[in-house]
Amino acid sequence: MSFLGYRRPDGSVGVRNHVLVLPGGLVSQKICEFVKGTCTVITPDHGTGRTARDRETVARVMVGLALNPNVAAVVLHGVGPAMQYPELNVNKLAAAIAASGKPVEVVSEQPYKSTLEVYERGIKAARRLVQEASELRREPAADGELVLGVKCGTSDSTSGIAGNPAVGHLYDHVVNSGGTTFFGETTEIIGAEHLLAQRAVNPEVGQQIIDAALEMEETAKKYGDDIRSINPIPANIEAGLTTLEEKSLGAIAKSGTVPISGVLKYAERPADKGLYFVDNWMSSNSIHLGYAAAGSTINLIQWGGGAFVADTLLYPSQGVVSPTIWCTANINTYTACQESIDYYSGTVIEGSETLEQAGDRLIDLVRRVASGTMPKTDTLNYQEANKIYFRDAAF
Amino acid sequence: MADKRAIALDAQDNTAVAAQDIEPGDAVNVEAKDGSTSSVTATEQVPFGFKISLSDIGDGDKLLKYGQVIGYATQDIPAGAQVHVHNAQGLRVKD
Repeated sequence: MSFLGYRRPDGSVGVRNHVLVLPGGLVSQKICEFVKGTCTVITPDHGTGRTARDRETVARVMVGLALNPNVAAVVLHGVGPAMQYPELNVNKLAAAIAASGKPVEVVSEQPYKSTLEVYERGIKAARRLVQEASELRREPAADGELVLGVKCGTSDSTSGIAGNPAVGHLYDHVVNSGGTTFFGETTEIIGAEHLLAQRAVNPEVGQQIIDAALEMEETAKKYGDDIRSINPIPANIEAGLTTLEEKSLGAIAKSGTVPISGVLKYAERPADKGLYFVDNWMSSNSIHLGYAAAGSTINLIQWGGGAFVADTLLYPSQGVVSPTIWCTANINTYTACQESIDYYSGTVIEGSETLEQAGDRLIDLVRRVASGTMPKTDTLNYQEANKIYFRDAAF
Repeated sequence: MADKRAIALDAQDNTAVAAQDIEPGDAVNVEAKDGSTSSVTATEQVPFGFKISLSDIGDGDKLLKYGQVIGYATQDIPAGAQVHVHNAQGLRVKD
């Protein structure tokens, strides 16, 4: 046993026990205000006027969040213009969720006279599902049943020396135990993609990694911009990182050393276990949502901070249903943000701990969070709006 | 005064990361990941997290960190100097 989690009908193991109300918006928010133990996603753009490819992404986010092992049951409604698109048809989404054996209630299936009637049905359904979910008990689970996502933020030199390698140590452990881990941020593999491609399980996956980096460079060029003027961001440079290659070489350390099993789209669920590269956008209010929709039950953010310790109240979970553990290896960041940062690995730079010792502390922390311990930022009663990663223009 | 510390991510590297604020004239002990050590005297200020050159690097020479090329020098960089955007650039920016 390594942690205590909630076993779901499809065999997956959750570390939280939410009732999720979908899609995001006024109706869901009102249901959540009425009923304890519920949550919803806040995405200002629900898919209206988006291409079929982007609407598919919205559908993947919604179904994926619902299937996340941290969700006990789902309330779904079809109120809102985006829900009239075939990809977002409420019965289609409900069927995809129900196939996992998870309880799902559609509260707009019958004709309704007013939206208030949908509120009433939603509140009643959510209350019943929350009460039923409270009967579930945590059970012993193995490290191989963990699913993790990671982002590195405002990278500096400490990220590459200790912060990301400590996450890499955790990732190697989870994958070697039979679990699943995600890393991504395509702009931050540019200059290091050849090293990732060498770790791919086969040449096709290696080529997909190379192609993802190339497409990002070409897309920036199409808009008349050089990717290197977007990334490294000014805060990276002010903290001492000079080039994109340097930033990327430090960033990929968070993926550990094991083989890369595949390349996934934003919010795409992997077919199997292992380490996956996700072709996604670096923004923290997008990336954690995508990981959670792909099934991550805990997300990590590895913060450099360097020249950028302005906001010491760091954001609570941006994965909606999955808690976020904040990590740093920068002593200045850790000192300034102790109220928000859960884990410090700058000891490796100071020489007071080996990477293995520091990494083992992170494994222990992940097990505790998986068993119910709250990361510090989870104590804040605030939910940041999420941005779904769209690939096409808005129309 | 005790030596200052810098960390080389690979024994091949010609740059290392300052593990603390380094002042001009400081003797810097450079620890490589493989356990080997070397030393360099700082010629200028290198703040914590910034890079210091470990040897004389010529204009246009490759800069190594993690045992990989992270860019090239845009001017001559003497050993012990700070390496950053004023004297270095990414390789792919040339495209």
